[in-house]
Amino acid sequence: MPHFFSNKRLIILLVSIIILVALIGFSMKKRENLTLPEQFLKDSAGLAQTIFYKPANTIAGFFENLSEMKQLYKENQLLKARLDEYAKLYVQYEAVKKTNDTLKAQLDKEEDLNDYKVREATVIGRSPDQWNKFIYINKGEKDGIKPNMAVISPQGFIGKITNVSLFQSTVQLISDNDRTNRFSAIVQGEQNIFGTIEGYDPKRQALMFKKIKVDAKIKKGQKVITSGLGDVFPPNLLIGEVIDTEPDEVGLTQTAYLKPSANLYDLDHVMVLEREMPGVDESLKEKEEE
Amino acid sequence: MKKILLPFLIYLAFISESSLVQAFLPQDASMDWQIIPRFSMVMILFIAMYLNTTYGLLYGLGFGLLTDLLYTDIIGVYLFSMAATAYITSVFSRYLFGNLIVTIFLSIIGVSILEFFVYGLNSLIGISNQSIDLFLYKRLLPTLILNGLFAILIYYPYVKYLNRIKETIKEN
Repeated sequence: MPHFFSNKRLIILLVSIIILVALIGFSMKKRENLTLPEQFLKDSAGLAQTIFYKPANTIAGFFENLSEMKQLYKENQLLKARLDEYAKLYVQYEAVKKTNDTLKAQLDKEEDLNDYKVREATVIGRSPDQWNKFIYINKGEKDGIKPNMAVISPQGFIGKITNVSLFQSTVQLISDNDRTNRFSAIVQGEQNIFGTIEGYDPKRQALMFKKIKVDAKIKKGQKVITSGLGDVFPPNLLIGEVIDTEPDEVGLTQTAYLKPSANLYDLDHVMVLEREMPGVDESLKEKEEE
Repeated sequence: MKKILLPFLIYLAFISESSLVQAFLPQDASMDWQIIPRFSMVMILFIAMYLNTTYGLLYGLGFGLLTDLLYTDIIGVYLFSMAATAYITSVFSRYLFGNLIVTIFLSIIGVSILEFFVYGLNSLIGISNQSIDLFLYKRLLPTLILNGLFAILIYYPYVKYLNRIKETIKEN
């Protein structure tokens, strides 16, 4: 092919590669707010997605229903057996809640780090190339959603809001491998073991829970929850359970592999949580003002 | 008038990618085929083959930028990959006669070039940590099958439409 690499084209190719590197470098730093044209593009795409999504979901739901019907009877039996258990647990829960409330009242403690406001949202789309693990929800700035809020499904923690436009917002799933996608978490047990969730291992199909002390003893099946120490997410949201552990390459820390409790591939309705307790920064600011 | 419809059609395909992945393709973690619809890319490849290189490049740039802004966090990956893919495909198509088999073959080649570009760039940045063998078997193969089917499906009406646009371009 004689025309493929003439001089002029070679220069154009080189210049475009330089522009590519510059663009990637520019956009890799963390941006909190979207520019106006970006917001407009996202909103218009969000609108189109909402229109598309409903019929697509109905058809997909029909096929899903057909395959589910076979298992319905078995599931029903199991659930009936579980119902008695639930009643027992509920009574216990009520009692514990009552003692908790009275104790809190004695301490004059009204607000709690655990309190959060819940907003329901519907998933309207998903990043089609599955390198970036984003989902798009139909609630945006006008519904009071802000960046960095935690997002959960009924089964557990799934990610955080990364950016918000007027009518829709983007959720970065916990399995995204972005450098800035880190969550502080703890292994539940007699002693809390701290670490951070750092992306997803496609080979093991598990979340990587890194930077755990090397002498910490972690058993398979232990639950991992958000710590709430980052002052961004509420604590005690279930992330997953440990399926394997392994020392790090250098041997100073160890890595645990988690099976996420929420099915990150099958999300329809999610909940966005807003922490009600004001963050540390704001309370510090108030003190300075005084 | 006929030309105005073209970007709109591609935009529809582009939006439907996201909804399709959300509604139909969600897999269990146990069945980890990754089937990625690249419908807008296939349609742009047809433009690069049947109209001319410039149109292919421009549409590649435009929809590449749109993909970057809407579906990813980083600007530049798709902008570069989609434009380059459209260009390479249109160069190939100069040497091959345009019939159904060749067109499907070239769109499959185009989609795999795009996948390789995006995989390479994303590995460089650290967004993807999939190994190459997983990428080839679990991702590239099913993706090519889906997009090949899509290309067959749209071939007759879409090529007819593109030929009509070509005539109006020549007239002007």
